[in-house]
Amino acid sequence: METLKYIIKRILQTIPLLIVVSIISFFIIRLSPVDPLAELKLNPSISPETVQKEKERLGLDKPIIVQYGKWAVSFVKGDLGVTSSGEKVSRKLQERIPYTLLLTSIVILLTWFVGVPLGIIAAVNWKTPFDRILTVLTSIGMAIPSFFFAVLLLMFAVKTGWFPVGGLTSPDFADMSFGRKFLDIAYHLVLPVTVLFTISLASLQRQMRANMLDVLDSDYVKFARAKGLSEFKVVYKHALRNAINPMITLLGFEFAGLLSGAALTEYVFNYPGLGTLILEAVMKSDINLVMASLMMGAVMLVTGNLIADILLILTDPRIRVKS
Amino acid sequence: MNRRVIRVVLFAVIAAFLCKACIVKDVPPSGSKNKIKNENINSLTYPYPKNVTINGVDYLQSQLPIGKFGGELITSTIGQGPKTFNPFNSKDNISSAMSAIMYDGLLSTHPVTGEPVPKLAKAYEILPDGMTYIIKLRHGIKWSDGVPITADDVVFTWKDIIFAGLGDTSLRDSMVIDNELPSVRKIDDYTVEFKTPKPYAPFIRSLSASIAPKHIFQKAVDKGGEYFDSFLSTTTKPEDFVVSGAFKLKEYLPAQRVVYVRNPNYYEINLKDQKLPYLDKLVYLIVGDLNNEILKFEAGEIDVIALQGSKVARYKALEPHSDFVLYNLGPATSTMYLSVNLNDRKGENGKYYVNPVKQKWFQDINFRKAVDLAIDRKNMVFNIANGIGTPLFTPESLNSIYLNKDLKPFDRDIVKAQAYLKKSGFYKNKKGNLYDKDGNRVEFDLYTNAGNTEREAIGVMVKQDLEDLGMKVNFKPIEFNSLVNKLVSTFDWDMVIMGLTGTPLEPNGGKNVWLSDGRLHLFNMRSPQEGKKNILPWEKELDEMFTKGALATSFNDRKKYYDRYQEIIYNEKPMIYIYSPVIINAIRRKFKNIYPSSLNGLTHNLEEIYVEE
Repeated sequence: METLKYIIKRILQTIPLLIVVSIISFFIIRLSPVDPLAELKLNPSISPETVQKEKERLGLDKPIIVQYGKWAVSFVKGDLGVTSSGEKVSRKLQERIPYTLLLTSIVILLTWFVGVPLGIIAAVNWKTPFDRILTVLTSIGMAIPSFFFAVLLLMFAVKTGWFPVGGLTSPDFADMSFGRKFLDIAYHLVLPVTVLFTISLASLQRQMRANMLDVLDSDYVKFARAKGLSEFKVVYKHALRNAINPMITLLGFEFAGLLSGAALTEYVFNYPGLGTLILEAVMKSDINLVMASLMMGAVMLVTGNLIADILLILTDPRIRVKS
Repeated sequence: MNRRVIRVVLFAVIAAFLCKACIVKDVPPSGSKNKIKNENINSLTYPYPKNVTINGVDYLQSQLPIGKFGGELITSTIGQGPKTFNPFNSKDNISSAMSAIMYDGLLSTHPVTGEPVPKLAKAYEILPDGMTYIIKLRHGIKWSDGVPITADDVVFTWKDIIFAGLGDTSLRDSMVIDNELPSVRKIDDYTVEFKTPKPYAPFIRSLSASIAPKHIFQKAVDKGGEYFDSFLSTTTKPEDFVVSGAFKLKEYLPAQRVVYVRNPNYYEINLKDQKLPYLDKLVYLIVGDLNNEILKFEAGEIDVIALQGSKVARYKALEPHSDFVLYNLGPATSTMYLSVNLNDRKGENGKYYVNPVKQKWFQDINFRKAVDLAIDRKNMVFNIANGIGTPLFTPESLNSIYLNKDLKPFDRDIVKAQAYLKKSGFYKNKKGNLYDKDGNRVEFDLYTNAGNTEREAIGVMVKQDLEDLGMKVNFKPIEFNSLVNKLVSTFDWDMVIMGLTGTPLEPNGGKNVWLSDGRLHLFNMRSPQEGKKNILPWEKELDEMFTKGALATSFNDRKKYYDRYQEIIYNEKPMIYIYSPVIINAIRRKFKNIYPSSLNGLTHNLEEIYVEE
């Protein structure tokens, strides 16, 4: 009951936050000198009437405050509006979200299933060659900028011909059997997943290792060992449970990155996800699309944090008691 | 010890991994710039398909060698891909191109001469009054669903879609003459008559607009404008398309690709009377940017690519031992220019758009001539376009069929330029700085849109060239949208480097730029309220040339007017043309029947292209 109350309180708190975020983003976009109709205006074959019609259609002939009001009302009603080329924003997002989710969830699953155990093993085998090799590798992983690494891998793909140069499916995808479709997508995903995986694995592994080392050094672990418990029990029953708490907070942030975290990599790999869509929308000042993606980002971040907090309540009795 | 071994092994593994990526198949770039001659262009001999009648069906018969059926051609498009597949709704080039593949127009353009030639129509005739166009349709040809293509489809398309103002109205707007639209009338099932209110030569080019299948579009038209705007959009199922073109949509994946398959009912046949096209599939990959496109070409994922100047030398060196051929398609239809702001009027706030001191310079023909002579076009072609370009002196692009060939190119001549300046009382002080006769330092801003590296490079070189005359040029690349705002709304600029794309077939397409009250009359832009205020004598003559040019009917008469318009610009120099890039395309060797055309591009005859393994 307490937990439920807490969740409701948290959800209510996000409403003013979202309003502020939307106001700030809307005004920044609208006050920037980008004219969404510039290209039309400079096209000799477009008549002034067409430009005027477009202006009215996009609501650009009204003051900013009215434009914001209109946007907010339809947003609350669940209508995200249309893009500057007249397509439904919700449809555009729907087209892309599954692809981005596919990529980011594979990466998150991989990093967590690999990173957390690796962190634990490294901490347990502290200062052994195994730990040192991992430290070197993760240093490299953390040092390479994702953009640069992606470009490097792309060059690698071009020169060797071992991997496709970006994209998600082959041109003859539609004619493939189900098994081959699966393999085709997997084949295309190897490089982008490698980029994102290397980079997030590094920080996750280090985080886990550091947490674990902290805990292993604590008094109750020493006590458990002194009590004569087996090393396995000490590590996995007593130490791990305590070391995992900070990771849950991290998981909340990972959730927020589900939709936006891969944008750069998506762009380089020409991946049909949200990244390229939103980048172009920002460049063209396609207000409804930009606003929708910003709001989506804000909502995801808030939800991610909320989920993390709830998970913490569930896993950590101390917090449960306090709240 | 142990630790060191591990480190060494680790390093070796990483190094080996990285090195694999560096094993280059490249050939060192040799100095062979500029060597792609037009020798590859065999379009001069391109035999245009002929009409033949077999069993009462009027086919178009390809005159090219007989090829093999099957295979696919994969090409690419940069950006976000099509927004619609409805040819009447497309507002951007990609959407237009994607829908034009599926919906043929009555007429098309001859790839060499640029004349209008029959496509979906069997023949056309312009009556001596210059206002009546008789279009004969093909007997027995069908839409992809088997329904015959008749005069009803044509009349429906023009009357109920185009003239009714559904979808994008640019085409309709361009045909309004004295507030009147042309009319269209069915004479019999295979004959249609168009009539313009006055003789209006550009109309013939409009007849290349796509024709819609009435039995499919009728219900959309009945539901009105709003429904029509979303009709045949990117979400429509591919099976719902009924087409007349060589290819039909098979699959569209947003941000990935557009796939077309052959239309079995296409009306073109080869010399063995087999139905074209040869290719089974036509694929457009949607790629994010130029770099991605290049990588995909090098990895063999796409078959055709347009090369930028900077890449040409390397590709030329690679060509002999690669599986692609380069084609020189001649000068691009886009023009790059330096424009001077001739505006001498006040804005609504009572202030001059252009500083009156600067106005005096810009209005001075000697000043403009000096600027023109000081610009080193050859140097720019060599350094910016990597030699893949041609200096330009006329507003019509170099492949335009209306190009005035009497306007001679000239070289940079700084002495002559200085003489012009002297004539108008400009003088240099001891430091070499230029002053006008009233003692004002000659200093102005030069704008272009930031991010366009080519224009930025031109700007830097123009600045250097003009500084040789003692002028002080503040070169300011600014964001594209802000620049457009300056050019078309606030008019507060001095000089600008911009580009426009035109059509090499119809100068009238540029009337918005040249008419004194045109919407893009950049160099002396008037707000709608100003009308034709303070019109200059040569602007008046330009207006006259464009009005007469559009109304004249024979090519030779029109050419006279358009020659004169180019001469006026050449003499008065409100826009100083710089160069036009040359288009170089690469395509895999396995594709045959390639007849590149400077006007229509490399793969204008898609239905005739085949794959030879």
